[in-house]
Amino acid sequence: MRVFALALVLVVAATMVIGIAGLPPHGDPDGPVHTHVGARYLEQGVAETGLRNLVTAVLLVYRGFDTFLEVVVIFTALVAVLALPSATRQPPQSRDESAAASRRDTDDAVPVSPVVFLVVRLLAPFIAVFALASLYRGHVTPGGGFQSAAIIGAMMIALGLVFGREHAARLVPHGAKAWLQALGPLVFAVVALVGWRLTGAFLGFPADEAAHALREALVVILEVAIAVGGAVILAQLFMALDAPS
Amino acid sequence: MIGGALLESAAVALVVIGVAFLLAGTIGLVRFPDVYTRAHAASKCDSAGAGSVLLGLALHDGFAFGDLKLVLLAILVVVSGPTTAHALARAAMRSGRRPWPRDEGGPA
Repeated sequence: MRVFALALVLVVAATMVIGIAGLPPHGDPDGPVHTHVGARYLEQGVAETGLRNLVTAVLLVYRGFDTFLEVVVIFTALVAVLALPSATRQPPQSRDESAAASRRDTDDAVPVSPVVFLVVRLLAPFIAVFALASLYRGHVTPGGGFQSAAIIGAMMIALGLVFGREHAARLVPHGAKAWLQALGPLVFAVVALVGWRLTGAFLGFPADEAAHALREALVVILEVAIAVGGAVILAQLFMALDAPS
Repeated sequence: MIGGALLESAAVALVVIGVAFLLAGTIGLVRFPDVYTRAHAASKCDSAGAGSVLLGLALHDGFAFGDLKLVLLAILVVVSGPTTAHALARAAMRSGRRPWPRDEGGPA
């Protein structure tokens, strides 16, 4: 068995080394990455989209439909999780559920580690600032809505771990919860329709210089919606893991 | 120029030390017998390994404003790594996971 495992590792490693040896040199201008659509993005991207960050340009303009559906996929994941019976658990009925309930009771009985409590409290403001910076700078530098969503979501989950779920759940206003969870797809649809009205193409962004402010506003609204909606969904996915009924 | 060479040597030494820690930590993670020893290996690997690689990179090519980010990143790694290991080990202990016995006669 060990011989077989060793042979398997060697074969896989050799295949990978051979594959890597066959790649074009790093930064080779004639490499396949640079000779197809990538070159077009780099040469024409700023002029065609009016966006300064080409990653944002590809994400929101060239592949706007893809990004739209990604946001919908994240929302659908939440809907699927919430549709599972255990996520909207009523008072315990079966043995599994009473076992889960007693596990929750012991969870509550275990005090939060003071080390974890201190470190999370210490880091949470920095995490929040980092998320906002990544969102705010996202249309110029690396970063943006999705990264910001992951960071805010992680912060909410960490806070939920040390302060308790009820406390963390209060970060999301109860009345607006469903709207916030659907914020990404909703705002994306609205921006797509506005783009349609302005440019005649669904999800179109006005690219001319005169529409600079409008274009920036649309992008920022979209990024904020992706960040807030994504963060709320990530946090809710975690809360739904073993939500108190 | 002597100063530059010294700085460069320090940077390379830090990166080499960091890589050695990362290697040892990775081997430990695979080879150690239970959750506590593995958490120990993995957190050493994170803090000492990634920490000194980051500091080495900050020293590399002299100081620049961007190096401050690497130092902050090193601080973050040194703070968050041990915390994670602590939380893991604590959770394992709370859930009744016994530490690996030193010899076969020890508590199983």
